Amino acid sequence: MAPSTQFEVSQPPSDAISAVIFAPDNTNRLLVSSWDRNVYLYEIAEGTEDATLINKFEHRAPVLDVCFGANGNEAYTASLDCSVKRIDLSTGEQTVLSTHEKPVRCVVYSPQHSMLISASWDHTLHVHNTSAPASTPITISLPGKPHALAASPSKVVVAMTARLVHIYDLPTLATALSSADSASANITPWQQRESSLKFLTRAVACMPNDAGYATSSIEGRVAVEWFEDTAESQARKYAFKCHRQTAPEEEGGGDVVYPVNALTFHPVYGTFASGGGDGTVALWDAEAKRRMRQYQKFPDSVAALAFSNNGKYLAIGVCRGFETDMEDFNSEGRTKVFIRELGETEAKGKGPK
Amino acid sequence: MGKKKRGHPDVEELLARPWCYYCERDFEDLKLLISHQKAKHFKCDRCGKRLNTAGGLSVHMNQVHKESLDKVENALPNRQGLDIEIFGMEGVPDDIVQQHNQRIITNFYTAQAERHAATGNPPPGQAGGQGPAKKIKIETPEELKKRLADHRAKVAAIKANGGVLPVPVVAPKAQPASVSPVTGQSPAQGASPFPPPQPGFPYPPPVGVPGAFPPPGQPGVVGAYPPVYPPPGATPTPPGAPGGPGFNLPARPTGGALPQRPPYYNNYNGGAVPPPGAYPGGASTVDELVSGAARQGGGGAQGDEIDQLIRAAEQGSKAPARAGEDSAGGEKKGKSKDKNMRMVYGDSEVSPEEKMALLPRYAVSAA
Repeated sequence: MAPSTQFEVSQPPSDAISAVIFAPDNTNRLLVSSWDRNVYLYEIAEGTEDATLINKFEHRAPVLDVCFGANGNEAYTASLDCSVKRIDLSTGEQTVLSTHEKPVRCVVYSPQHSMLISASWDHTLHVHNTSAPASTPITISLPGKPHALAASPSKVVVAMTARLVHIYDLPTLATALSSADSASANITPWQQRESSLKFLTRAVACMPNDAGYATSSIEGRVAVEWFEDTAESQARKYAFKCHRQTAPEEEGGGDVVYPVNALTFHPVYGTFASGGGDGTVALWDAEAKRRMRQYQKFPDSVAALAFSNNGKYLAIGVCRGFETDMEDFNSEGRTKVFIRELGETEAKGKGPK
Repeated sequence: MGKKKRGHPDVEELLARPWCYYCERDFEDLKLLISHQKAKHFKCDRCGKRLNTAGGLSVHMNQVHKESLDKVENALPNRQGLDIEIFGMEGVPDDIVQQHNQRIITNFYTAQAERHAATGNPPPGQAGGQGPAKKIKIETPEELKKRLADHRAKVAAIKANGGVLPVPVVAPKAQPASVSPVTGQSPAQGASPFPPPQPGFPYPPPVGVPGAFPPPGQPGVVGAYPPVYPPPGATPTPPGAPGGPGFNLPARPTGGALPQRPPYYNNYNGGAVPPPGAYPGGASTVDELVSGAARQGGGGAQGDEIDQLIRAAEQGSKAPARAGEDSAGGEKKGKSKDKNMRMVYGDSEVSPEEKMALLPRYAVSAA
């Protein structure tokens, strides 16, 4: 199905995409962070099929993640130059919130607690109080290198190497932050889990209803788990294979397994989308455990996904995928951002069968 | 198989069922097929409207949703095209119809063979290693001839009714290699789902299965002769036709040790007895039979398993045939287990981003 409700933004980043995200209060506004050291702000013109570049914000180093702050005029970025920055999108003013010892992999903002959490390869989380930008952040040390981070209304999920998953309780973090004595030592995770997936975690996304989260791995698999620590809830968790292709017979057959690079939950229906190295995006119904849709293949690997806050748009960041033993990686000219305007019930689950 | 069996339909009934071009499912009647197509293949995934044809859906998608349809949903990979206009059974290309019929026929015989295997009955005109081993019963040439004629008559009757039954019969080695001209071949002949008869393993027809008789295979010539179908209405076998069911049996008309044939065969007298000359090569002489029997392993033996083993050992050729079969089975097993998987990104310790960060082009600019 070649949807005419899907379009490409006209001035895409020039290199690989690390993240896409929609503004919380303005569903036509989105940010794209790229390895070309820029963060791009686009706006979808209402009623048309076009998104124009409003501004771009240059960084010293590739930007690994971006998120909006309390409103559509504020953004936070994670950069390879180890800094966590706040960007005022209207003025373009950049302020460094904190500096890690190693590149910062992810940032996530919790609007409920006005908190920004950044995860870095130096095995730490920094928890910032954004209502008091001058305050020093709390540092939480992690047992592994974080690779993915996601926040639900009350929890934040950190996925690390060695298949470690830590879940922190946001109100607890907020209390620790407000006690202001920067007691960074005694914050313990609310839950410590081992990933249900056998391979390196690639992405994490939390359910908008605060019930659970989904993780994906480099080995074409997605797991869905619930926060509630009861035997009943834990028995509900499951994982499934996806983003695989059968290799042609002449290449020896078998499956070519792609990493699942991106996960995002639909804010209204609670279904989720996954994007993989095979260049496809699939919509899943977490409750009914069914695939609802698989969109037509994109020209390259899907690097990032985001639903707009009302679920009307799905932004898809497509660029060349990084594969094992690749030394000439270059996504120039192959990077695209697609915006798909979803039909009324396109992402609505059918409910358990 | 003279009578229709209850519980499973015969080939004609299966072939007459309407079926869906897109997914090869078959249905009780055309109405059901059409509603299936509307629900599964011609339903708009945007608004749920059910159209009558793929073309109709395409127009609907274009006009209502401003999208273009590029394939038929839920269709087999090679049947997703929009170029063929299908409605119920209309518009299905002839070659696809042929393919479908062939598949139905093949499936039918496979299912039939499975039923036979499950019940322990040998398929008509077939014997072989697919059923449980049973005691070998020994018949005299006269009885065999009688039974053969009986069977032929029944097969002919089935053919006359328009039934299709593959009756592969392998000519014994000792006979001159002349095969009767084949008339009235079943369309499924080439794709007969039955394995070739197990050499040296005469399969006794159980009581109550009319028309079944054991055509033994001869080691070394299995497959050397094409399966032959009796022409319709031909009761006496044409000369040179493989009529040799009896010849390989360890039957020794002389000799006191000859066991009596089980009495139930005496019931077989409905069919016409072919003239002796009808047997290939005039091989109905006692000498020939004796030599055939001797080749089979000394003859006169009661057909228990030990004797079969001894015979197999003497024959020497049965074992290899079996071994070959086993090894083929083993290969198949191994193949299904050997599922290779290639991960596009295989490092479970270091993320792609970390590797990318190490590339010189992403080095942090000195500040």
